[in-house]
Amino acid sequence: MRGVELSAALAARFGDKFLGLDPFPGLVGRVRFDPSVARALFEYLRDEQGFVHLTMVGGIDWVDHREVFYTLWSDRDRTYLQLSADLPADHPTIASAVPVWPGANAHEREAWDLVGIRFEGHPDLRRIFMPEGYEFHPLLRSFPIHEPEELEVKARSD
Amino acid sequence: MSAPPQTVPAPAPAAAPAAAGGDAPLPVVDQAAVPFFEIETLRAREFIPAAKEALTSLLKEKAEGNVIRPVFNWAGRNSLFPLHWGLACCAIEFAAAFGARWDAERFGVVPRSSPRQCDLLIVNGTVTWKVAHKLITLYEQMPEPKWAIAMGNCATGGGPFRTAYSVVPGVDKLIPVDVYIAGCPPRPENMLDGVLRLEQLIKERRD
Repeated sequence: MRGVELSAALAARFGDKFLGLDPFPGLVGRVRFDPSVARALFEYLRDEQGFVHLTMVGGIDWVDHREVFYTLWSDRDRTYLQLSADLPADHPTIASAVPVWPGANAHEREAWDLVGIRFEGHPDLRRIFMPEGYEFHPLLRSFPIHEPEELEVKARSD
Repeated sequence: MSAPPQTVPAPAPAAAPAAAGGDAPLPVVDQAAVPFFEIETLRAREFIPAAKEALTSLLKEKAEGNVIRPVFNWAGRNSLFPLHWGLACCAIEFAAAFGARWDAERFGVVPRSSPRQCDLLIVNGTVTWKVAHKLITLYEQMPEPKWAIAMGNCATGGGPFRTAYSVVPGVDKLIPVDVYIAGCPPRPENMLDGVLRLEQLIKERRD
């Protein structure tokens, strides 16, 4: 069906940078891709596959690597698609989706703030929940567990 | 609607054992320390004669602290203007306290929208580190003399989100707090009870 067609099209377009399309309940599927082709994949999906809306961006810390995932919505096919890319834990960087879908702005700021994923080309990659000057990315598994009295936070007054 | 109000004034150690009994009496003012007129029963039309008398006495005796201070305290505690600043669900109870049913204006408590016009900061809700420096800015923008009330469990000690990475564990980490109000959220009459406790503290102010 739709998933099979999309898988064949992505394999023809991106070759071995397209790592597979997993089944995902309620969605077309879950596209795993190499982060080096992120920007080209975003533009291809928006312009030629009709995924005009980015619903959300999120990140997961798997300790040995980090995952960034995107959920797309297609008005033409009235269906969702999820993208997923694995990033190295010591250098979690991927191209920003803001030039393709401007709605990714706040989502990528959130993923940077909480999970520490850097988005290259984001116009304004500041923290969104935590104050500027905060030392940690609090949803990482390495976040120090402590009593709140021990927490030293530099609340910057700007 | 079941538990009685559990409000503890901060710098009054005498009230602490009584509060455990559930029906704590308000701190009693030493009437001997209040000279020349009954500050309890002073009405608005009597204010100017009382102030004249106090000023005359001031010039005569130069006893500044014991004479003019009760007049200032009387005026200040009957016109507490809190900042109209809501943070979380406690702000709903804060707003209800100014509605027709509880009517906080009968105590002279009128919310103002500018910190320059306020002398009371009621921190109603969860304070996060993101908003912490804005809270400090608002407090510092208020003119002296000023007071602060921590309303609800979140503002008092972080509440159920105490161990979260984003929550300030008690607003007294940021600003000095005069009265703590327990409850999650406290009911409007509980908030008004805290304001009346603060009025007692202002009544006893001598510095």
